[in-house]
Amino acid sequence: MSHSLNLKIEERTPLKRLDWNYIIVILTLQVIGLVNLYSAAFSTSHLSRVFSAQTLWIPIGWSAFFLIARLNYKRILNLSFFIYLANLIALILVLLIGKQFYGARRWLDLAVFHYQPSETMKLSLILFLGAYLAKHKSENLGFKELLVPGLIIGLPFLLTAKQPDLGTAMLLAAIPSSMLLFLKVKTRVLVSALLVAAVSLPLAWNYGLKPYQKNRVLNFLNPERDPRGTGYNSIQAKIAIGSGQILGKGFRQGSQSQLEFLPERHSDFIFCVLSEEYGFIGGLFTLSLFTILLFLILHTAANSNDRSGALICVGVAAFIFWHMLINVGMVTGLLPIVGVPLPLLSYGGSSMVTFMVSLGLVASVSNQRYMF
Amino acid sequence: MSIHFPSSDESDSGFYLHSNFRWARIFILLFMLILVSRLWFLQILNGEDFRVFSEKNLLKESDVFAPRGKIFDRDGKVLAENLPAYKATITPQYTENLETLATDLGKALDMDPDEIVEKVKKSLRQSGRFFPVDIKLHLTRDELFKVELLKLDHFGLDAQEFILRNYPHKGVLGHLLGYVREISQREIPILSKKRNIKFKQKDIIGKKGIEESFDTNLRGKKGKAFVIVDAKGRQAAKGSINAIGESLKRIVAEPGTDVFTTIDLDLQTKAFESFEKHKRVGSLVAMTPKGEILAWVSYPPFDPNIFAKRVSPEIWRKWVNNSDRPLRNKVIQDHYSPGSTFKPIVALAGLQLGYISANKYVYAASTYKLGKRVWHDHTQTGQGYISVAEAIERSSNVFFYKLGEMLGPDNMARYASALGLGQKTEVPIHGEVPGHIPTSEWKAKRFGEPWQTGESLNMAIGQGHVLVTALQLAQAYSAIAMQGQVYKPQIIKKLEDPINDYFQSFEPTMLRDLTADPESDTYIEPRHFKVVQKGLWRVVNGKQGTARFAKLKPPYSISGKTGTAQVRSWSADQLYKSCENRIKKERHNGWFVAYGSYKDEPKITVAVLTEHSCTSAASVPIVKEVIQYYFEKYHDLEEKKNES
Repeated sequence: MSHSLNLKIEERTPLKRLDWNYIIVILTLQVIGLVNLYSAAFSTSHLSRVFSAQTLWIPIGWSAFFLIARLNYKRILNLSFFIYLANLIALILVLLIGKQFYGARRWLDLAVFHYQPSETMKLSLILFLGAYLAKHKSENLGFKELLVPGLIIGLPFLLTAKQPDLGTAMLLAAIPSSMLLFLKVKTRVLVSALLVAAVSLPLAWNYGLKPYQKNRVLNFLNPERDPRGTGYNSIQAKIAIGSGQILGKGFRQGSQSQLEFLPERHSDFIFCVLSEEYGFIGGLFTLSLFTILLFLILHTAANSNDRSGALICVGVAAFIFWHMLINVGMVTGLLPIVGVPLPLLSYGGSSMVTFMVSLGLVASVSNQRYMF
Repeated sequence: MSIHFPSSDESDSGFYLHSNFRWARIFILLFMLILVSRLWFLQILNGEDFRVFSEKNLLKESDVFAPRGKIFDRDGKVLAENLPAYKATITPQYTENLETLATDLGKALDMDPDEIVEKVKKSLRQSGRFFPVDIKLHLTRDELFKVELLKLDHFGLDAQEFILRNYPHKGVLGHLLGYVREISQREIPILSKKRNIKFKQKDIIGKKGIEESFDTNLRGKKGKAFVIVDAKGRQAAKGSINAIGESLKRIVAEPGTDVFTTIDLDLQTKAFESFEKHKRVGSLVAMTPKGEILAWVSYPPFDPNIFAKRVSPEIWRKWVNNSDRPLRNKVIQDHYSPGSTFKPIVALAGLQLGYISANKYVYAASTYKLGKRVWHDHTQTGQGYISVAEAIERSSNVFFYKLGEMLGPDNMARYASALGLGQKTEVPIHGEVPGHIPTSEWKAKRFGEPWQTGESLNMAIGQGHVLVTALQLAQAYSAIAMQGQVYKPQIIKKLEDPINDYFQSFEPTMLRDLTADPESDTYIEPRHFKVVQKGLWRVVNGKQGTARFAKLKPPYSISGKTGTAQVRSWSADQLYKSCENRIKKERHNGWFVAYGSYKDEPKITVAVLTEHSCTSAASVPIVKEVIQYYFEKYHDLEEKKNES
């Protein structure tokens, strides 16, 4: 493949430069999402607008994708510090003047909509950390080299954890940490990090926190999706998935999904609808598509012509990977219920646009390969 | 179309990170494998179980209501409690033939079958088919038995246990306690936002009184229970599914916090009965001089139990059309002219500012002429030369006209406000009004006119724009009894939640001491309080006092002030017309505000307003009975304390 690279450069026009495999995989995932959304939404009246709204959000997402893909990502990277800084200020503002719903302060009221800075922080972190790590010698990272990245990750993490929103805070730590791990960190850093976590977490849990605080921590992890903390949602999700068996019950035949027993079945629990109606085969197919998408992103990373491009792609891959893993993990009962959407499938305008923007960044990295 | 994956032998790209890429791919594949294995476990290994379960059963979640906290009096006697009760419900989802069910159930519960069908259909439209519809609350034993029998043949019918709020003393404490009822559709979003709790349909909320003010404490936390029901809505046999049953945790409901009030139930009952006995309409508030409220009566009463069981339109109409306004909390929700009960406050201002002194005698005739207008005393004979204590004793209008004219509105208003009049006491009971104390500035702003001297005269006898609540007067007279220490009226003694180990007790709070700071513009010398206290004592114990009826045997005594407040002003020829001959709304209100002392030590303050009773004499016996009862109850205690 490396030999054919030079030849390809001459062949490619802007349109041809697009990686059609990449686009088709994304589109397929979105269509799967739409089909299940249709199934989930049409059984109840209050969800009927969800489907038509999503059919609008998908083209909006693609517009964002192409807009970003046409830009030179390096120009975005030049701005990444300011994007990060503005986002950080927004996070501080949330704590000072943010909108409070049910005990958590996460939103800024922007009159038109409620803006959640911790969500955009995921992308801001990928960009800024990518730019930073590309500039500094950063392989086999030791304690000294990790000081600044630790600060970059730590600030938004703490601000978000304080809202409190531990779920999002964990993701804010996991995504950029994946980028660091990708560059490899020294074994002793890894070992000591694991040791500190292994010792401090149980200690904090058992001695540092009072029972009501523990309850609160559990509620942070799980603010709206399962406020009861009873496992009810988790069990309904498992019944839905399990009862799908190998081939599923068929389109709009899922009794669990059609009745109102599945909470949030159009957003965070969309994978349940899929698994109930298309069974193991449907789930396997979707997970395979995700694997292909992730590999394609890593492929772009491996072939990018500079470090920063490669790092952004790795960040985006981590972004999608962690969301998918946590979402599918939670609906299958492997992880506690936290409000994390399934990329490209779950209903939701802002999450659709965010994921498409991040995928557009990868496309931009891919395009820049052919520009000298 | 083929999908190219990068092979690991590319060496010119990715900045020599190819081994890192290999790890990343392995990492992704590893986790995908875990997810796929999980799907395999759920869908293929256990899929059969889940499929069978999903077709035959549904897992249902239901709320477990938390018992509301109890409300007690200061001695721990129950004022509000919870009783178990049963109701008949129909869940539309499971009903097969609604018409036959309605016919049979109608017979059993003595209801119109059409009404039952109508109720179910209405709920179907509003809340959907999963929501159980209440058909009848408070089933009798007999009805409960019939419903249990009918249940066997009719799917969807159920007899559900629920918690009924009970007020054992009925109307005696209605206004103070408030009541509970189901949250209305309109209140759900408003209260959810205000209190940061997710309210749902059918939630019980406190309304009015302590039930509303302390709803957050009283309501506790709902629990959750789960039942596996079959397709007919009946509870399924246990053990039908093992694959899912493992982690359903029941959430136990947390009972609400118990609220201990400062109320003395015995005294409260006595006060209530006193109103009943004398057939008066009005309000009473009794408190210790440090502000702990002992009794709170608004008469006529309403029975809060009726709200808990839903108010019928007939009862509602009766309440609303009653001119004595039983739903009104007259202790704080209505303000009145204080009438002559305002005079001691004017006297304090006059003494402190030096316009009069304890020994100065003022000529008080039966009339006082100001400009062209003649102002009248309440007697036609006049009082002669009298001191300030005597002026209070006999309630001389002319004495206070002269003093009011000298003081002017702003001096009177300053001291009245310092004693707590004309402002909310912030007692945590719904609907308090602030009342009003006029000033020259207010007059100019409100009417665009300067203050007229005549208005000062009116103000000095507690008429005109002066408006106060019974609670404010009790607070002010307590402060006079306490020599200038103004205490905040207090209704809660402690909150107790033994389950969460939460206790909070409340002590009397002194808002200010008027004798503390000689530099302050509301400073009053202690000796002036003595003069006014003497006057108040003479009202009951003097030869010409206006409340001689309330005299007690030493070492007990009552000191206080009567007041007859006009509800409108009268021309001279109308003034002495017998009040009883007027139509009810135009009759005077009668005040008596007094404190009872044991060996000159104030123990209890009582303010009574009798609406349209024509005379303060209507209020005097009620106050006397309450103070007398207080001393009877605590007599032994006082004596013992004295001996030791």
